[in-house]
Amino acid sequence: MARIQSSLNISSADFRRNYGANKVRIEEFRAKQHAARFNRPQRDVERLAKQGKMMPRERLERLLDPGTPFLELSSLAANMAYDGEAPGASSITGIGIVSGREVMLRADDPSIKGGAWYPLTIKKIVRCLDMAIENRLPVVHLCDSAGGFLPLQSQLFPDKHMAGRIFRNQSILSKLNCKQLSLVFGHCTAGGAYIPGLSDYSVIVRGTGAVFLGGPPLVKAATGEVVTVDELGGCDLHTQVSGTCDYPAGSEAEAIAIGREIVSQWDRAPKWAIQQAEVEAPHYDPDELYGIIPDDIKRGFDMREVIARLVDGSRFHEYQPAYGTTLVCGYANLWGFKIGILANNGVLFNDSALKGAHFIELCNQNQTPLVFLQNITGYMVGREYEARGITKDGAKMIMAQTCSRVPKFTIMCHGSFGAGNYGMCGRAYDARFLFTWPNHQIGVMGGEQAAKTLMEVKLRQLERNAQHIDQAILDRVYHETLEAYQEQVTAYYSTSEIWDDGIIDPVDTRNALGVAISASLNAPLGDPGYGVFRF
Amino acid sequence: MSIELNLDGTPRTVSVAARKPGWRLTVDGTPYTVSEEQGEDCVLLTVGERRYRVWRALEGNRVHLKIGGRTFSLGYEEEVSAAAHAGAAGHEVHADMPGVVVDVHCGPDAIVSAGDALLVIESMKMQITITAPRDGVVAMVHVAKNQPFEKGNLLVSLRDEEA
Amino acid sequence: MLKKILIANRGEIACRIMRTAQRLGIGTVAVHHFADRAAPHVALADEARELHAEVPTAAYLDAEQLIAAAQATGAEGIHPGYGFLSENAGFAAKVEAAGLVFIGPQPGVIELMGDKIRSREFAQAHGVPVAPSIEQEGDLAAFVAGAEAIGFPLLIKAAAGGGGKGMSIVRNAQELAARATIASSEAQRYFADGRIYAERYVERPRHIEVQVLGDGTGTVLHLFERECSIQRRFQKIVEESPAARLAPELREKICSAAVKLASSAKYRNAGTVEFILAPNGEFYFLEMNTRLQVEHPVTEYVTGLDLVEAQLRVAAGETLWLEQADVKLTGHAIECRICAEQPEHDFRPATGTVRKLRIPTGEGVRFDGGIREGQAITAAFDSMLAKLVVHGADRHAATDMIRDALEEFVLLGVDNNSDYLGRIFDHEAFRAGDLHTGFVVEHAAGLAPPPLDATDEAAVLLAAALATEELRRLIDEVPEPHASIGGWRN
Repeated sequence: MARIQSSLNISSADFRRNYGANKVRIEEFRAKQHAARFNRPQRDVERLAKQGKMMPRERLERLLDPGTPFLELSSLAANMAYDGEAPGASSITGIGIVSGREVMLRADDPSIKGGAWYPLTIKKIVRCLDMAIENRLPVVHLCDSAGGFLPLQSQLFPDKHMAGRIFRNQSILSKLNCKQLSLVFGHCTAGGAYIPGLSDYSVIVRGTGAVFLGGPPLVKAATGEVVTVDELGGCDLHTQVSGTCDYPAGSEAEAIAIGREIVSQWDRAPKWAIQQAEVEAPHYDPDELYGIIPDDIKRGFDMREVIARLVDGSRFHEYQPAYGTTLVCGYANLWGFKIGILANNGVLFNDSALKGAHFIELCNQNQTPLVFLQNITGYMVGREYEARGITKDGAKMIMAQTCSRVPKFTIMCHGSFGAGNYGMCGRAYDARFLFTWPNHQIGVMGGEQAAKTLMEVKLRQLERNAQHIDQAILDRVYHETLEAYQEQVTAYYSTSEIWDDGIIDPVDTRNALGVAISASLNAPLGDPGYGVFRF
Repeated sequence: MSIELNLDGTPRTVSVAARKPGWRLTVDGTPYTVSEEQGEDCVLLTVGERRYRVWRALEGNRVHLKIGGRTFSLGYEEEVSAAAHAGAAGHEVHADMPGVVVDVHCGPDAIVSAGDALLVIESMKMQITITAPRDGVVAMVHVAKNQPFEKGNLLVSLRDEEA
Repeated sequence: MLKKILIANRGEIACRIMRTAQRLGIGTVAVHHFADRAAPHVALADEARELHAEVPTAAYLDAEQLIAAAQATGAEGIHPGYGFLSENAGFAAKVEAAGLVFIGPQPGVIELMGDKIRSREFAQAHGVPVAPSIEQEGDLAAFVAGAEAIGFPLLIKAAAGGGGKGMSIVRNAQELAARATIASSEAQRYFADGRIYAERYVERPRHIEVQVLGDGTGTVLHLFERECSIQRRFQKIVEESPAARLAPELREKICSAAVKLASSAKYRNAGTVEFILAPNGEFYFLEMNTRLQVEHPVTEYVTGLDLVEAQLRVAAGETLWLEQADVKLTGHAIECRICAEQPEHDFRPATGTVRKLRIPTGEGVRFDGGIREGQAITAAFDSMLAKLVVHGADRHAATDMIRDALEEFVLLGVDNNSDYLGRIFDHEAFRAGDLHTGFVVEHAAGLAPPPLDATDEAAVLLAAALATEELRRLIDEVPEPHASIGGWRN
């Protein structure tokens, strides 16, 4: 396989400007992440220490095998919600290695409002369990939560994919032979009690761990019974009398050690045999990605340069290199795994849509996972293209992509607008993992375009009603629209709402995909077959 | 997660920083480049720039080894037991060697300070006074005067003084 | 020559005696307590008989059972080895009364030399120099007065003691008075004989002993001297032959004195005459050991003679077949005693199980050990596990050889003094031959284990950790690509 020939000039003004701007963006991203992960009110930190509890990230680090990667998901969830009260949505999720096994980990964060579950916490937990189901991963829960955040109960309780979905997912995981371990470090109240209840194995810490459907205040209110936390649902009750929990632990350290030993007992299910080659680091320096990605959403770049800094040896076997050139398709290896890449180099035309659909079919035939590198403003519009059937061709690409049996992975690199998002495997299309880069924007259309469109609409409305054309009104429509979009198209907004599985530093993309692809191999391939292609 | 060892009474930890391309192992957090190969009748261990011949034997909760011309015997505890005992450290007094109890100087609920005499034992024709490793209260004395015991046997259990 | 012998002993000496017997085509009978049933000496012998006793050591001290075992197996003679009943005149007499050959001296000579005071008098009477001394004859007060008259420092000893037990040094009248009472009661308790005596204590003395061989007719040869000055708690741990630095004339004087003593007693079989050598060249008779000694191999190396074979020949009735002029010194031999003990904790005895054993080999290296992998070392027996002996062209070469052999020696599972012995042979003072019985105490700081630098200490911990299944799994069980990606966080 030939190496991509990079034509990047790292001394050019463009490169230097991009690099500088991206470095600033990355520092900003890292600062936000650090704050979300570690800034906590001192009194909460002290409270945990006095209870003899570790901070959740310390529990996680002790549980994980040393010197192994941890792919954290949605680290900036809820960063633009609840006035910033719930950094990370009070939850830590990710894929790591425990006792040599790939597991999905989920930890409550008791340093934020006692670990209470906000609506976005529920969404994050449900998402991580959905990922465990799709990828057939075992799960380890590190439980320590005060329960649902009652003021927002209507947003976290009643609907199909709200709190109840957590326990439904746990049951399905168990049915699929995916083991679950709960380490009960704190309270598991009400619905939360079902987490260890539906886990195959559970460890509970004496003194601080407790599992009950109703806590002492609720019990007293309901029946008048007066009982302490420990009597009602503590370690000894559940490990000696009720059998709700399996292993007692005298300390958090002991609970974690027992947990590791439990995981070491689990068999390793066979993974499907993807084509693999010897690993080679990219020939070009991934650091150069900062100079490739423009700081302006309207400027483009050559995706081949990005691919060259992601894949093994920078080697790429390009498919249909001369046809449909606005979509780059081809095979490469990443951490040794063979993948098929679809990457946008411009708007999608008839030929690029057809090429994309065909290449997706080839990857399914070859049992090669698909990696989508998105930078798409949409399919080409206009009479000529409609006459040629751009809608049909876009539909064919969506059909091929949706009905794929191989796992799909999406990286939103720059822009993801309109229908282009669909064909290129946006959120609705079940990518196993979907990550965004910090400068990425997502919307039905770009902010300026939307502002101009709405301003046009307003103008027509005023004309129709024969009203005076007040430029100020038009300007206000333009600016208000633009402002709203500015906030809502950003990667930070998207990640806050958990429309993605996390913002990642472009330079981390290779490792993230390596861990993600490895995790995805635990699930068997889907059934082959497509719906009807509109020809 | 790390390996818990005891060298001359001091707890030490060994862990893994990296596995590829070669081992990087840490000792109390300090990383070293390490490799091992099988020699004729010993193990050849390389740590950084230095090479050592190693003979070793694992025995329950001890690791015996000869390395660099010197013999060592380290305490070792598997993670789960180490975590379970971390709480009990200093609460249990075990016999270092086999012997016989000559005299008992404490009883249940006696308040003791670190260094107070708990028992006098005789072993290998020498009399030794066993002292309390920490302040506390005697929970239970597990042996009686004139009773023989083996190495490792539990002699006295302590508990913390209630506040 | 005897056709079959019983070895009333265990451990390395039993094995060593059997090896010579086997070489000479003599049948061997081993005896053992139940606790020793898997011991190497049992496996080595042609036949074995179990002895019964409450405590393992008592078995080897049971004269009746030993003699019965010999008779039952048709053994013609009993070799007592060293320790146990080897210097028990009563046992020797019983053996002979039972019609068996006691492979050692006459019972009467054993009794004479076993009594510190009588042997001293005997030596003095036959022109062998002795240290000024006084024995306790009446009450302690008179004894103390007489002792003071000799002058300080003084060594207080039990008359019936030996092997370094029951001895102490006093430097002034108060210490003497206090010590005398304690020494007497200790002597009573350990040796069933409360008599004590005091003698001139030489500062920085050297311990020089002479190996002798007699045939009972009065003809006695010496096989030169050994130096055993390196001791801890009055017990030898390093011995060499010839002595480290000894003028030929002085050697001649000491060896002649030994021969004089032994021939005066018409000594039969092998024995050792021990002397104290003062820095000024004066030497005094200490005691005579009427048995084969632990350190006899160094003499064997430098003279080329097999002492056990010599013992067997004398026991078979031969008169001495060698002339003194036939006995020559070649090269230099050093022995060290590997013991189950912790030198850093005042040489406290240690127990455990031998988990790994690697015996040094090579030209001029000899390892006499009755131990094997898997063997339990208990408090039941003496703490000596083995002897390591080397023979080199000269003292310098022999010192290097034994130090190298100790580095190659591996014994894991039982704390032992092998590292410590290696440090003795590395020590300047030892290499210079600057020896005296206080060597170990004088150089305690220099003989302590040197501190490890950070990398060496890390290597110890890493080597230990890599022995554990836990660390192996932690390293090996992480799959790819995670193992190659390493400790990455996003």
